[in-house]
Amino acid sequence: MILPQFPDYEINVSLYENVQNAADIQSRVAELPYAFIDANMICSVEQLTAAIYRTLMESTYNRLRTKTLHSEVLLALSPTSNIGEAFKKFGVKSTSERLIVVQINENGSQKIDDSLVQGDSVEFKDENLQSYCDVDAIRKVYKLDKSFQSNNTSDLSRALVDAIQLRGL
Amino acid sequence: MSQEIVDTVTKYLTPNIPIKQISQGAEAVVFTSSAHPYLPTPEHDADGKPLQYIIKYRPPKKYRHPIIDRQLTKHRTLSEARLLSKLFLIGGINVPKLIATDPYNGCLWLEFLGEDLPNNSGFSNLKNFLWANVNDPYNDVVKSTLIKVGEQIGLLHFNDFCHGDLTSSNIVLARDDTQSNDWKVFLIDFGLGSMSKLVEDKGVDLYVLERAIISTHSAFSDKYNEWIIEGFSNVYNKHGKGGETKLKEVLKRFSDVRMRGRKRTMIG
Ligand SMILES: Nc1ncnc2c1ncn2[C@@H]1O[C@H](COP(=O)(O)O)[C@@H](O)[C@H]1O
Repeated sequence: MILPQFPDYEINVSLYENVQNAADIQSRVAELPYAFIDANMICSVEQLTAAIYRTLMESTYNRLRTKTLHSEVLLALSPTSNIGEAFKKFGVKSTSERLIVVQINENGSQKIDDSLVQGDSVEFKDENLQSYCDVDAIRKVYKLDKSFQSNNTSDLSRALVDAIQLRGL
Repeated sequence: MSQEIVDTVTKYLTPNIPIKQISQGAEAVVFTSSAHPYLPTPEHDADGKPLQYIIKYRPPKKYRHPIIDRQLTKHRTLSEARLLSKLFLIGGINVPKLIATDPYNGCLWLEFLGEDLPNNSGFSNLKNFLWANVNDPYNDVVKSTLIKVGEQIGLLHFNDFCHGDLTSSNIVLARDDTQSNDWKVFLIDFGLGSMSKLVEDKGVDLYVLERAIISTHSAFSDKYNEWIIEGFSNVYNKHGKGGETKLKEVLKRFSDVRMRGRKRTMIG
């Protein structure tokens, strides 16, 4: 995937279910050139790709807050600017059974290493995200007020995309 | 249209994002694009037509100091984005979806709303819609649409937000679904919007819209403005005694603002 405004970056996203080795991955996140995201915290494609868009924008205008594009994606997903909290809430947990792996390459394409995640690879699309995402946990992390009733995933997702765009600004 | 502006926008959006200018105001230039900034698969409307998107760009102003100009542009872009995100969280208010915010370049990406009215009547904002109905000016669709316009403004004001530039071009109608004749009413352009509890700001909003209706549809404006206020009042009246009291205050100030306006035109 390439975002039209940032053609120098090649982006790969994979979604896995029934992940067996989350604890192992979690212990090695610092050395692996990927962003590992707990898929239960993602309700739509646009939620994640809006965060990637923001990451590339912050990078282009020299405003990265973390060391790598991959850690910046986790921060970009978060509604607050606390980096530790962003990792804890959106990053892989030792118990994660569903994972999203994001790889961003500047100048040149690479593939996500197939042997990395032991689990079933499924298509990264709305239907596969919606059916499992943890709406209560998402609403809590994004601090959505009870008065906001998201009757469908697209309303929920829209509120998250707004928060992602405006964090810290 | 200034080629310089188009070149600047194309430079940072890159030629991968085709743009077509649709409007130029004092504050912003508005483009449409067929490209989405970050969705990997194209989106389609109910008829299967590919969606287009709005890009609202605030160009640098040469007469301002560059650093101050950049700060102001960032501030205004973010202010509009924040308002749109807050308003979406309020049940019942219809505003365009915020797709992307680029404060560094003064750019907002928004959902495109509305359509072309039949018989070359133009884009489906309230102004053109009323013209399109000029031969049957009091029909049911006109009435229900104007009541909905009033309800949108009522929801906005009841929740202590003001629009700041409430003209009949900044009210856009979009089809509720492709089968029906009914319109869903959206408020657009929150560039001058604000959070405000002041009855004065609300009175001015109502006055600006009343003037817009009178000046473009004078023969029917009494009824039209009555329907708008009917919808506006519906929102407040749903909130018991407290709502009724607030409504009285706003409408009282609205008529004060109108009086001041009359005096000014009599003198000037
Ligand atoms: N979300 C939108 N959908 C459709 N048209 C729009 C939208 N936003 C702005 N426009 C058009 O662009 C003009 C100027 O936009 P603005 O500067 O926001 O008032 C409006 O009068 C509309 O015709």
